[in-house]
Amino acid sequence: MTKYAMAVDLDRCQGCRACMEACKIENNTPQAVFWMYVFRTETGEYPDTKQSFLPRPCQHCNNPPCVKVCPVGARFRREEGIVLTDFERCIGCRYCEVACPYGVNYFNWRQPMAALEAYELDFTDPDTSAVTGGVIPSYKNPDLDQLQGEEQRLTAGSAHNVGVIEKCTFCVQRVDKGLQPACVETCPVSALQFGDIEDTDSPLSVYVRNRSTFKLLEELGTDPSVIYLGGSPPPSDVREIERPLTEVTS
Amino acid sequence: MTAETMTKRELPQGVGMLTPGWLAFFAVAIIAAVAGLLAYTNQLNQGMIVTGLRDLGTVRGAPWSLYVAFDVYFVGVSFAGISTAALIRLFNIEKLKSVARMAELLTVVALLLAALAIMADLGQPLRGIVNLFRYGRPQSPFFGTFALVIAGYLFASLAYLYITSRKDAARLAERPSRLRGLYRVWAAGYKDTPAQRQRDRLVTFWLALAILPLLITAHSSLGFVFGLQVGRPGWFGSLQAPAFVVMAGVSGIGHLIILAALVRSALRADRRITIDVFAWLGRLLLVLVFTYLYFTVVEVLTTIYQASATEQGLSDALLTGRYAWIFWGSIASLLAAVAILGWMALMRSWSVGWSVFAGILVNVAAVGKRYLIVVPSQTHGQLLPYGTGSYSPTWVEYVIIAGLFALGALMIGGFMKIFPIMPMEEGE
Repeated sequence: MTKYAMAVDLDRCQGCRACMEACKIENNTPQAVFWMYVFRTETGEYPDTKQSFLPRPCQHCNNPPCVKVCPVGARFRREEGIVLTDFERCIGCRYCEVACPYGVNYFNWRQPMAALEAYELDFTDPDTSAVTGGVIPSYKNPDLDQLQGEEQRLTAGSAHNVGVIEKCTFCVQRVDKGLQPACVETCPVSALQFGDIEDTDSPLSVYVRNRSTFKLLEELGTDPSVIYLGGSPPPSDVREIERPLTEVTS
Repeated sequence: MTAETMTKRELPQGVGMLTPGWLAFFAVAIIAAVAGLLAYTNQLNQGMIVTGLRDLGTVRGAPWSLYVAFDVYFVGVSFAGISTAALIRLFNIEKLKSVARMAELLTVVALLLAALAIMADLGQPLRGIVNLFRYGRPQSPFFGTFALVIAGYLFASLAYLYITSRKDAARLAERPSRLRGLYRVWAAGYKDTPAQRQRDRLVTFWLALAILPLLITAHSSLGFVFGLQVGRPGWFGSLQAPAFVVMAGVSGIGHLIILAALVRSALRADRRITIDVFAWLGRLLLVLVFTYLYFTVVEVLTTIYQASATEQGLSDALLTGRYAWIFWGSIASLLAAVAILGWMALMRSWSVGWSVFAGILVNVAAVGKRYLIVVPSQTHGQLLPYGTGSYSPTWVEYVIIAGLFALGALMIGGFMKIFPIMPMEEGE
C-alpha cells in the first residue's frame, strides 16, 4: 500500500526559502501564513557561531494529535498518510492548533475578502499594471476549490474562509494527480524528496537508505512522516536569526 | 385592592415585586449584557482578528485564551449545585436546605454561561452547533465538554431544579397573583399529595446520586482537554483531571457563599440563611482549598526538581517570569482565604462578611489559575525554536466576558423575581 513521506536533507538545504514561496503560490496562503516554513537558526556566541536551516512542513504524523482531538472529524488522516482538514466541516475551535507540538496550524482570523486582498496581488492596481502592462491576470489556483480524493472533501487550500483552521496538505491537489508537492518541485538543490516510503524501490526509499535520519520531537510518539537526513534536531539553546512576519499588515 | 398590591402581599420572598434598587440592578445588567452582545457581533462581522488571539508557531500567539479560561471557570462554578444537593441528601445536613435551590440555579446558569463562552471561542459558531450533533467524536476530549458537561450535566441539573421546585409552584398556584398562570404550568398537575411527595423524594434522591458521578466525570473531562496533550508543556499530566475537580469545587462553593450572602441581605433572610450555612460552606471550602494547594505544591515540586528544558522554561515563566504576578497573586489569594476560613473554623465564630471576602478571594484565584493553565503553555511552551510568544486580550474579549457575567446576574436576578429562590416554609 502507498504510504507517503517526505525526506528533508539538511546537508543540502541552504535556507533559500524557495519552498516557502512555491507553497504560497501553489496554495494561495494569506499573509503571515506559512504552511511550509524554514527555520534559519544559529547556535554559539560570536565569533564561534553556527548557522543551520530546518524546513518545517506539517509533519503528517501517523499518530496525529490534531486528528485525535478534533471534535467533529474535520481533521483526518488518509490511509496513505496525508493529514488533511475538511474546510467545510471545521468549526474553528482551534483544538488541533494547541494540540500540535510543531506549530504548523494557522487559523483564518479575518473575513475572506480581507484575507484575499492581503494575499492576492491586485494586477489591476495602477501601480502594478504600470509594471506588468496589464497582461498578467490576478492568480488564484483553480484546483484549490475542487473536492479531493476518494473521500471527495474540500481539503485543498480553498478560499481560506474565516473561522476555520488550515495547514500544509502535502499539496494534496497535486499528489492526487501524481505530481510532487510544490515545495519539493521547486527546491533548487533537491533537499526535499517526496514519495512512497513503503515501496522499497521508490526514489524516496533509495534516497533515505543508509543515511542517518531523525524525526522532529520523535519522543512525543507522534510518528511523523517527515524524515530529516543529516544534521541534528535543533538544540535547546538555538535561536532564530530572523523573525518572520507575525502580523497581517493592511 | 389593585392587582399589584395583592401580588406584593401574596407572593413570598419579594417575588413579582420590583423596587427601584432591583430596577437599577436590571438596567445595569442589561446594559452590560447588550454591550457583550454588540462586542460579539463585532467579532462575528470582522472575524476573530478583533481579539488578542493569534496563531502558535511563527506568529507566536495564543489561539486559546480568555474565552477558554472562562469556559473552564464557569464549568467550575457549576460544581456548587449538585454537591450541595448531595451534601443535604447523603449527609443529611438539613441546615443547608435553604441554599439548595440557589445552588442548583447557580449550576444551571454557570453551565449556560460556559456554553456561551465556548460559542464565543468558535470561529464558526453556527457550524459548531450543527456539526457537533452530526459528526461528534467521543475520542476528542472536547466531546466531554459538550456531551457530558453542557448536555448531560446541564440537563440533569435542570431536571433536579425543576422537580425540587414543583411543590412550591403548586402552593403558589393556589393564590391569586399575576404569575398564577406560570405557576400552574410549572406545577404541572402536582398537588402535594403524600404519594406525590414520596415519589418526588425518591426521584430527587436517585437523581442526586446519579449526578454525583456525572459531576466528577464532567469536571475531569475538562481536565482531560489539557491533561492529554503531550505537545504542550505544562498540560500533559494525570493530575489535571483531579485538580480540575477540586478547583471547580473551590470556585463553585466560593460563588455559592457570595450568592447566599447577597440573597440573605437582599431578602433580609437572616433567619432562613443562618450563620450555620456559612459555617458549613466555609469548612467545605477550606478543605477544598487545602487540597488544591497541595496539588499545586506537588506540581511545582515535580517541575522544578527535574524536568525537560521546555517544562523548566514554562515553570520559570510562571514562578519568576512574565506570569509570576498572576501565579503568586493567585497563591496569595488562596492562602489568605485559608487564613480567614481557618481562623473562623478554629474560633468557631463565623462572619458573613469575612466568608464572602474568602469567596471572592478564591474566585479571583480560580480565574488566575485558569488563565495560567490555558495561556502560558502556548506562549512559553513552543517545542520548536519559534521563540517566546505573547498574548494580551483586547477590549472585545473583556466586554464579552463582562457581558457573560452580566447575563448570569440577570438570569439569577430574574429568577428571584418570578420564583422563590429559597424553598418555601410551611405557611410562608
